[in-house]
Amino acid sequence: MISTIPVRRAPALGVGLAVLLALLGAVAFLSVTQGARDIGLAEVLRALGGLGVNEEITGTVTLELRVPRTLLGILAGAALGAAGAILQGVTRNPLADAGIMGINAGAAVFVVFAITVLGIQGVGVYVWFAFAGAIIATLLVYTIASLGREGATPVKLALAGAAVTAGLTSVTTGVLMTNIDALNELRFWQVGALAGRYMPILTGVAPFLIAGLVVALGLGRALNGLALGEDVARGLGQRVGLTRTVAFGVVAVLAGAATAACGPIVFIGLVVPHLARALCGPDYRWTLPYSMLLAPIVLLLADVLGRIAGAPGELQVGVVLGVLGAPIFVLIVRYGRMSEV
Amino acid sequence: MRALRPFLAVAALSLGLIGCGGEQNTAAPEARPSSSAWSFTDGSGKAVTAEKTPTRIIAHAGEAAALMSFGIKPVGIYADESIKTDANLKDLDLTGIEILGQEWGKIDVEKAAALRPDLIVADWWPVEKAHSGFEEGVDEKSKKLADLAPVVGVTQGKSIEDLARGYEDLAESLGAKVDSPEISANKKRFEEAVARFKAAVAAKPELTALGVSPADDKVYVANPEFAPELLDFQRWGLKVINPAKPDPAFPYWETLSWENADRYQPDLILWDGRGYKPELNTEWGAKQPTWFKIKAAKAGAVAAWPAYWLHTFGHFATELDKVTEAINAADDSVGD
Repeated sequence: MISTIPVRRAPALGVGLAVLLALLGAVAFLSVTQGARDIGLAEVLRALGGLGVNEEITGTVTLELRVPRTLLGILAGAALGAAGAILQGVTRNPLADAGIMGINAGAAVFVVFAITVLGIQGVGVYVWFAFAGAIIATLLVYTIASLGREGATPVKLALAGAAVTAGLTSVTTGVLMTNIDALNELRFWQVGALAGRYMPILTGVAPFLIAGLVVALGLGRALNGLALGEDVARGLGQRVGLTRTVAFGVVAVLAGAATAACGPIVFIGLVVPHLARALCGPDYRWTLPYSMLLAPIVLLLADVLGRIAGAPGELQVGVVLGVLGAPIFVLIVRYGRMSEV
Repeated sequence: MRALRPFLAVAALSLGLIGCGGEQNTAAPEARPSSSAWSFTDGSGKAVTAEKTPTRIIAHAGEAAALMSFGIKPVGIYADESIKTDANLKDLDLTGIEILGQEWGKIDVEKAAALRPDLIVADWWPVEKAHSGFEEGVDEKSKKLADLAPVVGVTQGKSIEDLARGYEDLAESLGAKVDSPEISANKKRFEEAVARFKAAVAAKPELTALGVSPADDKVYVANPEFAPELLDFQRWGLKVINPAKPDPAFPYWETLSWENADRYQPDLILWDGRGYKPELNTEWGAKQPTWFKIKAAKAGAVAAWPAYWLHTFGHFATELDKVTEAINAADDSVGD
């Protein structure tokens, strides 16, 4: 498949990346300037310039509400896009995303545990439990799938993911049925939102997300090898087991940290890699960066839309994405070439 | 705890029900079919009658507390939260009373049926045109409670005084003595508390207050029009701010994004009393960057507002004194 991409496409793809980067900048600008509160452009720029910050609410809203929210949207979006692309590549399953690997279910069960058993409240604290839960669930899925001679094959991974998700979800549901306070706390986290997430959460998860994204960018060549099939990849001298392990580690960190911070955000990880492939073809050295730029563009756009559509309140980005994501996914299924992962 | 009434913004559909009640407001309780029959005019305006005076009563939390203050012990109670934390129930001896629910919208109707009730007592909510426990959003299964016995309640209307007096009337119709020394003592305590409240307000005529319930993703500003205790405060002279644009579908509140937390600048914040603790103000100041942009919050001018739960003169007196104390301590120029 790789050979079908003419080498001369590289400059064009590079220009495409630059265009996406510019688009992301434009969307980020929208995200900082648009919101439930009407703040003039001059005031936003003044706040960003570091003037009149402390005493005026426009400065507080810009710097402490919108900027962290936008940065978190960029990082979490990039992480979910990259995690989706990697998962679809490593499992060779066009429907793979973080949810299928048990990440959302693992994070949710740990959040519920933190609230009910440890009595912890506030998204700033249980974000760490969500992160731990996501990573443990991913490890669990991978370990179960690795049992047996042929290792973690795509089919076994999908089955293990479904089983772990079902098991963890039933635990969560069971606890929630008996504990109303946990349900109310969880509701806030589980919708999937960028609202109410401020600097402490951003600075908490950012190192994990940035490190994960850097490693993810280096996985392109290895994923291209896996796409040829395991035997061919082995024949080409690739260490398939090692590739898989690294890939899953990266996915666990990226999707785990993003989900912990924002709650389970649907469709991004599933749909964006397909969009990316439609733009740049199946070469993972391009699919990965394209996904990393496309995903935050989509996420931030949905978030801004939710702020405008929901005024004077707000619609959570998870809800907006659910509503927009479904028809887009149907279009991809209808007109795209889903099987060519 | 957050699942309490005003947080379930599901009332949009109830708009379709407008016009179903209220026509019989003047139905007089005297119009009894016979001397042995029992009758009470419900908050909805409907006269509810029975062949004999009901004795096996299932009541919603605060309504149960009101009846118990007159010596009427219900056979069953359903609450919106744990009976250990419910403001109305936490200090009462509930032994021998079946607890049918401790979560908003969830009532164990099977258990309730086994109690063979002949009356269900629950507030009437004019905005939602429903009794407590039968609103939009309540489990359909739970609503079957209404099939077991007639439902009556006093309306959550324009004053807690009216509400408390309404339950006194109901208790009297059910055969309770309503002139015990304890009850008169509570009424006297209430009247004194009102006098202190009025004096405190009169001393600070410029002081403004705002009913607020902050949540992780939004700030809810109370609309006094549908909060009888806030209407009482207004009637006694306190300037409780009316929000400009209450949510159309659920007018108990105006919902604000945290970006607009500073829209209203009162001198005193009346914080939704369900789950209120004094240290919350500092906590919210630390976790919500714009909370302290409400100047009163920054100045620590915060008091518990007994939101939507009062049913008796005794409870109202106690809560009123706390608000009076906060008014006395408040600075009426903080929010200017």
